[in-house]
Amino acid sequence: MIAARQFGTVIGLAALCLVLWILTPYFLTVSNLLNIAEQTSINAIVAVGMTFVILSGGIDLSVGSIVALSGVVLGTALQGGQPIPVALLLALLVGLASGLVNGALISWGGLPPFIVTLGTMSIARGAALLYTEGRPVSGFDASFRVLATGRVGFIPAPVIAMVLVYLVAHFALTRTTFGRYVYAIGGNEEATRLSGVAIRFHKTMIYGVSGLMSAAAAIILTARLNSAQPIAGMMYELDAIAATVIGGTSLMGGEGSLGGTLVGALIMGVLRNGLNLLGVSSFLQQIVIGGVIVVAVLLDTVLKRKNRT
Amino acid sequence: MNAGGPVLEMRGVRKAFPGVVALDGVDLTLHAGDVHMLLGENGAGKSTLMKILSGAYRKDAGEIRIDGQVVDIGSPRDALALGIRVIYQELNLVPHLSVAENIFLGAMPTRWAGVVDWRSLYERASHVLGDLGLDASTLHARTPVSRLGMAQRQMVEIAKALAASAPTTLFELRRGLAVALRAKADEASARQALKVLVMDEPTSSLTSREVTQLFSLIERLTARGVAIVYITHRLDEVFRIGRRVTVLRDGRHVTTRLLSDVSVPELVRLMANRDLSEHFPKSRAARGPELLRVEHVSRGGALSDISLSLHAGEVLGIAGLVGAGRTELARVIAGADRCDNGRLFVDGGEVRLRGPADAIRRGIGLLPEDRKAQGLVPGLTVARNVALPHGRRLARLGVLTRRCEAALAAPIADELRVKATETQTVRLLSGGNQQKVVLGKWLAGDVRIFIFDEPTRGIDVGAKVEIYNLMNRLTARGAGIIMISSELPELLGMSDRILVMHRGRIQAEIDAAGATEERVLRAALGLERPALSDAAGAGGGEGPGGAEG
Repeated sequence: MIAARQFGTVIGLAALCLVLWILTPYFLTVSNLLNIAEQTSINAIVAVGMTFVILSGGIDLSVGSIVALSGVVLGTALQGGQPIPVALLLALLVGLASGLVNGALISWGGLPPFIVTLGTMSIARGAALLYTEGRPVSGFDASFRVLATGRVGFIPAPVIAMVLVYLVAHFALTRTTFGRYVYAIGGNEEATRLSGVAIRFHKTMIYGVSGLMSAAAAIILTARLNSAQPIAGMMYELDAIAATVIGGTSLMGGEGSLGGTLVGALIMGVLRNGLNLLGVSSFLQQIVIGGVIVVAVLLDTVLKRKNRT
Repeated sequence: MNAGGPVLEMRGVRKAFPGVVALDGVDLTLHAGDVHMLLGENGAGKSTLMKILSGAYRKDAGEIRIDGQVVDIGSPRDALALGIRVIYQELNLVPHLSVAENIFLGAMPTRWAGVVDWRSLYERASHVLGDLGLDASTLHARTPVSRLGMAQRQMVEIAKALAASAPTTLFELRRGLAVALRAKADEASARQALKVLVMDEPTSSLTSREVTQLFSLIERLTARGVAIVYITHRLDEVFRIGRRVTVLRDGRHVTTRLLSDVSVPELVRLMANRDLSEHFPKSRAARGPELLRVEHVSRGGALSDISLSLHAGEVLGIAGLVGAGRTELARVIAGADRCDNGRLFVDGGEVRLRGPADAIRRGIGLLPEDRKAQGLVPGLTVARNVALPHGRRLARLGVLTRRCEAALAAPIADELRVKATETQTVRLLSGGNQQKVVLGKWLAGDVRIFIFDEPTRGIDVGAKVEIYNLMNRLTARGAGIIMISSELPELLGMSDRILVMHRGRIQAEIDAAGATEERVLRAALGLERPALSDAAGAGGGEGPGGAEG
């Protein structure tokens, strides 16, 4: 089931690459492809958390703001002379905690995920601005930049990080009880509850994962920019939702996969890169990307309807 | 209107759903000004027949005539145009709108461009209410429906049914822009005067004084020549306001009589009687120790003072009509809902269930009434659904291997003879196989107390027999089963003991050996006094507390 659906998105990605290769020969060079992978890594990692949340039937609008908040916590810690591992851990904890707060409000407070994360989107952004007084944080030790500029062989560090995150998350989603409950809760929450699964606990953890992924993305972003900005991560939630949905995950929950999300994130990255190479104006780019999202989901819906009946 | 002739005739109506014939050759004739009672057990076909009349379903065969003319009712719109209205048990009102707005919802008087003519709206609403003999002190046109009690809401529904016939002329219709935009065909179907009003269990949430009010309303309607189809399980009401009665059984027309010509026992016999040709493979297991005891459990208005006990090797049947509290009881025992007071004992020790997980840990498994909504995750495979309650036990450090899930599911699928591989998605399975997957969830664990809520609903005969056989194997192994069913033959055929519920209470406890459908039905209808019920118990089958109080 999942494989068949991914197949469609993979073909879409391949077709897109083919067209861009014909239009601009530079597209299919190793350095450009690595460039795309590196640029995609941040959105792709945020989209991992988003996929967990959407699979469980929820939504997380606060990811972009959590990226900013964990980023400035990381930045100030580094600026204040903390060792790099301590600063990284702090950032991850802040992201995780923000996500757990989302999850707790949703499961124990009984509030709709849309409302809760809309609120924390504003709260986390405000907290990031307050914490930095609205100014970017910079002036880190040079060794920190290795997280963005370093390479293993010829592969950039952010791409390595992305691949690792996907491997671990994919394992969690497909091979652990936690992953199984993510699908089960999204597929039929009541039946899952009647099966004795602790719904509230697992829902809280799902949003925790999303917060943690936002923090991981914040680390890469901060290293790439060599500064932490309280206004970073604007609109990341929409990119992450788009990658997830293009990848074939149902917004109703219960169906989808991380493989699909990775392909979805790559489609968006390739599209942006290709349109830049072709010199398409950034205004037009937005229209094209929006169109791709709608068409991808439309195709998916049409195919699904065909399969069902 | 043709004087004297029937308003509505339904002849030879047939309707089949995949795997089951819901109606077969059913007739119904209504006369103007009659209150026609429609009786039958759960699943006799009353609702299906009314859904055909109201255009919600299409009939497969048969004929419907209104005032002698053959008509085709293809949609709810058609039914409205013919003057047929249905008031469902769960009322269809918009709570935040006023009484008047609800009455004219969809047909608001407008000035131009769809602007509502409020004065005319309230005037006409008051007029309709006045017609029904309701003055402003009983029901004011401007009151929001959310502030009304159930009885008043019912009145609004009746006023709404009546109002659709209030003179909305074509000229008026054309005035509103929104209305003018509608197709011409629509004008032809401009709403017709109320001819037939169907009321489905209208008194189920009313007090006795409110019932009297409702009945006087009904009399006003019949005085205007409206024919009323009245569905109820309360036999006292049947004789109080009914003139004719039609009894359905298993989707067939049994009889239509004048109520002056029948007695209560006769009606019950007509509803219950059937040829007991169906065979049940019941095998009796040795009765073991007590597994479960429920003492004085109450919950809201749904359950009051329920006590029962279940022994190893026993099938305890629970009978009752829809709304008697059977499913609520099942959910309390399975930990899905909490009870307000009362105690539960498993193996003699008291337990407190804070959720389904607690119940499962004690060995209680629920096969819910609505398997699609509550029993299964349709997008997951057979093996994963079966493994769902056992994740913690199966996993090592939270990691599930495919092998362990498959190993869990394979013998279960074998035992249940699920005609599907473990890797198939549950959504694509037939109803019978889906039910077996839900069963498999509990067979895979240490469940000894099974609660089956309508275990064979909507599944084919072959799968039914397999489920009965499985029940035998479970009791032979020392499990206890509580079986809720609306199919009396099944209940009588498979139970050792039957508890009959009526309005949240246990009305009677009947040993299966001495039970007849008629007796169970009498108790379910509330005709049998609880005190009398023990007398006929054939001994050996009494649990403590079953029917006292």
